[in-house]
Amino acid sequence: MSPEPSPETSPETSPSVRTEAVGPSMTALVRSELLKIRSTRLWWAILIGAVLWTMLNAAIVAGTAGLEAGMGGQTSPGVDSPELLRTVYSAGFSGAYIFAMILGVTGMTGEYRYLTITPTFLVAPKRYPVVVAKLLAHVVMGLVYGVVAAIAAIAAGLPVVLLKGGDPGLLADGVPRAVLLSVVAVALWTLIGIGLGTLIKNQIAAILIGVVLAFLIEPLVNLLFSFLDSDLGKFLPTTASQALLDPYSAGFALLEWWAGGLVLIGYAVVFSLIGVLFSVRRDIT
Amino acid sequence: MLTRAMSREGIQIDVAGLTKRFGPVHAVSDMAFSVRPGRVTGFLGPNGAGKTTTLRMVLGLVTPTSGTALIGGRSYRDLDNPIGTVGAALEAASFHPGRSARNHLKVMARAAGVQDSRVEAVLELVSLQADANRRVGGYSLGMRQRLGLAAALLADPPVLVLDEPANGLDPAGIAWLRDFLRALAAEGRTVLISSHVLSEVQQTVQDVLIIANGRLVREGTLADLDDPASRGVLVRSPRPDQLRDALRSVSITESGSDDGLVRVVGATPAEVGAAAFAAGVELHELYAEPSDLERTFLQLTTEEVRR
Repeated sequence: MSPEPSPETSPETSPSVRTEAVGPSMTALVRSELLKIRSTRLWWAILIGAVLWTMLNAAIVAGTAGLEAGMGGQTSPGVDSPELLRTVYSAGFSGAYIFAMILGVTGMTGEYRYLTITPTFLVAPKRYPVVVAKLLAHVVMGLVYGVVAAIAAIAAGLPVVLLKGGDPGLLADGVPRAVLLSVVAVALWTLIGIGLGTLIKNQIAAILIGVVLAFLIEPLVNLLFSFLDSDLGKFLPTTASQALLDPYSAGFALLEWWAGGLVLIGYAVVFSLIGVLFSVRRDIT
Repeated sequence: MLTRAMSREGIQIDVAGLTKRFGPVHAVSDMAFSVRPGRVTGFLGPNGAGKTTTLRMVLGLVTPTSGTALIGGRSYRDLDNPIGTVGAALEAASFHPGRSARNHLKVMARAAGVQDSRVEAVLELVSLQADANRRVGGYSLGMRQRLGLAAALLADPPVLVLDEPANGLDPAGIAWLRDFLRALAAEGRTVLISSHVLSEVQQTVQDVLIIANGRLVREGTLADLDDPASRGVLVRSPRPDQLRDALRSVSITESGSDDGLVRVVGATPAEVGAAAFAAGVELHELYAEPSDLERTFLQLTTEEVRR
């Protein structure tokens, strides 16, 4: 380390180092949290995963439309059916929601993994505003993910629909609403990720548990409910989110789209509250 | 001047009855001390003594089981302008390895409403401007320490709390840090630095707090605790009786002996050696005792090793 510069040669500070009177403002905290996300490369990597997974989803749903499913499965409607078109063009949700959740998980667990939670809470020692700012910043990034995923879904789905001789159907019954709500649903899943990341501070464990719960446990529980002739499965987080898009349901019970939306908002609020309450109490050692 | 002139009065840190238990572990017990402005105070103790937990309670990161830690009369969580009041660097590792140093500081600056020009100023202050766009993952420990210092100084606070700031610095870096912290204190700031290596901070600090096992065991000014005049001289001879006679003949007082090792006070090793030489007494060892501070510290660290 060089002994330069000595304190004598150090620069003069402007008198207006800081002017606010009481604590950091919410705008300042949200801008700080957004810079936190943007200033590492992780969000890019996650977004690329979301785009690829979305395009695969959209292409497969459109490609298999109207084909007879094997093993006694239901035959999906053709590409002229609005519910099938809704499923294709809102595939941004199915393709991106788990990645949005991972973004939320890393947004919280990264702070503990790299101990940046210390400077974060030194700047905002009352803590709950900074967690609220983190939630808001992740909703913003989640909206970006949702929009990019919606574009990817249309980019991958539309050619397949046209190839199969269908109309584009972008303005078909409920399609614009489904695309719009797929963006919102993706954004809300970042909040579920933050709550999960607050409960499970270990980053790898939190991501694994989140993915396993959504991709493995929830379908199994859903199946179990359907064997028991119960329709409680429609209240599970992924299933409720999908109901929001009013898609082709392949025989599973789904809520009305607005009810699915309310259930998803409920999950987002509960996980957000977990994020705030656990962060405020925790000792940072 | 390093930064703006300190027109207002300095800010004192007051800790009273501070206690923290983690389950059955008493990390900190009934800690009480004050840290004065205008001086560099060393917070010393072996690893695991409770230094970091105490500092984290002062900074509102750990909630005390009981007791208070006040900065200018208010707890950290109640400060209007937290990092503009207390600048802290707690560990050399609290950076995202994928984020650049400049962005790390900007993240803090945005949240605290500090202008970006100030980010550049503190980067220059710690000589990191050339490396500021590199990701911190590639930084050496010394560079991380300087980035931590830059973050602490970001909002130009009147109080600085630095945990093991000399850790990982080379001797030139430690010398730089000493001048730097002394200059900050001379401006009227309150500077509290912790260390588990006495020699790292011995020439930096003016006041000393020594803790062990979560308790304050010694406090005072370095001048009092490290006074050379209070040091004894230890001298070993196969003829301790002859040695004592020789010393008495030049009125050097012996203050105890044990197994051929004689301890004298009020004389330098040179004077003792001269007296022995004049009397023709054979000597096997002759050295100045460690100071009170060094003895206390050595004793604490030895206890730690034994445990």
